[in-house]
Amino acid sequence: MTRYIIRRGIQSLLLMWLTTLISFTIYQLAPGGPLQFLNDDPKATSADYNRLTRLYGIDRPIITQYITWIIGEDVMPATDTWRTGRCLSDPERCGRGILRLDFGRSFYFKGESVISLIIERMPATFILGMASLIISVIGGIPMGIVSALWRGRWPDHIIMGIVSALWRGRWPDHIIRVATVLVSTVPDWWIGLLLLIILGGYFRLVPLSGMQDLDDGSLLDRLHHLILPATVSAIGGWIGFSRIMRFEILEVLNADYVRTAYAKGLSQRQVIMRHVLRNAMMPFVTGLSGIFLIALSGSILFEIVFSWPGMGRLVITAINSRDYPLMMALFVITSFLGILGILMVDILYSFVDPRVKYDI
Amino acid sequence: MKRTELQVIERTYWGAVTRKLWHDKMTVVAIGLLLFMIGISLGAARISDTFLGFSPTDTDLRSRAKPPTWADEAWPQFQKFAQTCQRTQCQWSLWPHIITNGLAGVSSCLNDGYGKCHWMGTDQAGRDVFTRGLYGGRISLRIGFYVAGITMTLGVIMGLLSGYYAATWVDDIINAIIQTLSSIPLLFLLIILSRIFSPGPEGLALLLGAFGWMGVSRLIRGQIFSIRERDYIMASRAIGASIWRIMFWHMLPNISSIVIVIGVFNVAGAIISEAGLSYLGVGIGPPLPSWGNMMQGSLGNFTDAPWLVLAPGLFIFLTTLSIYLIGDGLRDALDPWVKN
Repeated sequence: MTRYIIRRGIQSLLLMWLTTLISFTIYQLAPGGPLQFLNDDPKATSADYNRLTRLYGIDRPIITQYITWIIGEDVMPATDTWRTGRCLSDPERCGRGILRLDFGRSFYFKGESVISLIIERMPATFILGMASLIISVIGGIPMGIVSALWRGRWPDHIIMGIVSALWRGRWPDHIIRVATVLVSTVPDWWIGLLLLIILGGYFRLVPLSGMQDLDDGSLLDRLHHLILPATVSAIGGWIGFSRIMRFEILEVLNADYVRTAYAKGLSQRQVIMRHVLRNAMMPFVTGLSGIFLIALSGSILFEIVFSWPGMGRLVITAINSRDYPLMMALFVITSFLGILGILMVDILYSFVDPRVKYDI
Repeated sequence: MKRTELQVIERTYWGAVTRKLWHDKMTVVAIGLLLFMIGISLGAARISDTFLGFSPTDTDLRSRAKPPTWADEAWPQFQKFAQTCQRTQCQWSLWPHIITNGLAGVSSCLNDGYGKCHWMGTDQAGRDVFTRGLYGGRISLRIGFYVAGITMTLGVIMGLLSGYYAATWVDDIINAIIQTLSSIPLLFLLIILSRIFSPGPEGLALLLGAFGWMGVSRLIRGQIFSIRERDYIMASRAIGASIWRIMFWHMLPNISSIVIVIGVFNVAGAIISEAGLSYLGVGIGPPLPSWGNMMQGSLGNFTDAPWLVLAPGLFIFLTTLSIYLIGDGLRDALDPWVKN
């Protein structure tokens, strides 16, 4: 067990290091160089270009740029090769490296600290992600349970679209097949856009954008703003969870211990609550790890559609303005959070399910 | 018709599959729909020349974000209706007017519409949305098929290798790659890469394909696991067949049904991904139309011009719907264990 956790921890550290490498490589390979945003500015001269190159230390060797990005300039010798122009002229303004959570200064937001820009927007993304997770769990798990236990009867038909041999090829089969397919055939953010136009634009039932009204920060107002974005971004998770749940329950229902439980005279209710559900919930924990990534990066589209002031919108701003320090920081931080999330779920899983194989 | 008893019909596997597909009306309709969508995209130039009279890139700044021409009169009435809903009670009595005006508009459009009638309105630069939708299909469908081709090739090769060499260093390396790729936020990486390098349709397909094969590979690996110890594999190994022969001659055909089905679903998935990227403004850039970047124009004013959202969505919906139904039908038809 301890060995497994240590092993997974080392793996995660390696993955994190790899993401910094990916991020730094993209930055170096970018056509036009890191200062490409200057080309969009008609007033910028080549003197500006040289000044900024020196200020941000882009003229240094790539290796030292990478090393100081990771562990900081203040611990390095005070020479041209190791320190940026800004750091040489004022030791107070040395970069402290991403290990000490200093991701440098933003180009687009006029030298603001990148990490504070991100931290400012993190809560919004987490609120939306958690709300959508809660909705998809509350909706998905009961749906999966119902459709597994009533398999082949009408709730299952309506929910899962798995049609028994009895109805195969007749009209209920066709209708249900179409209905279940419909949800996965259009982009889910498009459904959000459509609902926003109808409910927000025409009927004014929900607000058109943002997290709260400017002059109103009450809980009710926040919930009012949250309801549509959270529901729409939960659609995917909802369907996913109910499928996993249904599949797992059907699997567990055939297990020997369930037959034993029935044989020793437990009622169906007891068997299902004590034996079936508890075991069927196991793989569900792994499903959670995917949610971390979806909550972090999948929400970019929803944040754009609903003008949600989270990290996803910051991503688009950073990319459109070619703000490389911000872009790299966002990529590294979301990757770190995702990797840590998966690690946490894996460790949790090994505690919950003692059958997990540690040699993987 | 009375069947004679004990009649034995000999059919090959593929014969049975085609027969089963042909009897599944839903799948036949879906195949027809997909062919229709491909057809109108390929014939976009001809259709817009002979019937519509617009070019996909001609801008007309006097008619920016105009509603569909047939709804010229009905649209303001609909907006009025929506306004009454916001204030007090919906004024349902407006609907007869909206419908009659709309129908009158449609018939006048049908009679004398060449070069005048924008069937799906115009976008923020005054370009005809319907024509752009037809041309957009060329890019969106092309990306869909390219991406499916790339993910399937990569996924099948990686899956075969890791399934065949299970629990050796080959398997370990492939698993490590998959684990790395699935623990970084891929949408984010795709957005960064496609913004920085602004690739064309082919480049974008390559990006989407290169980061989308992991699921296929895992699935194939699992399938290979279930057949790698079968007798026929053992037999061909015994007579000295090469690994490649075993993998592509004996293993691949036996999992071909699942490969075909996920390949089909991948086309739809790629079209949806492309739409997302282009909607964010990092996929296919203007002036080339794609179904995703047509929606991008709606970003600021989608409540005033909902057709900018609806029309491209309709194209995507019809295409992916037909692809999903075909995939669904194929899954049934390719599985010999399920009887009608």
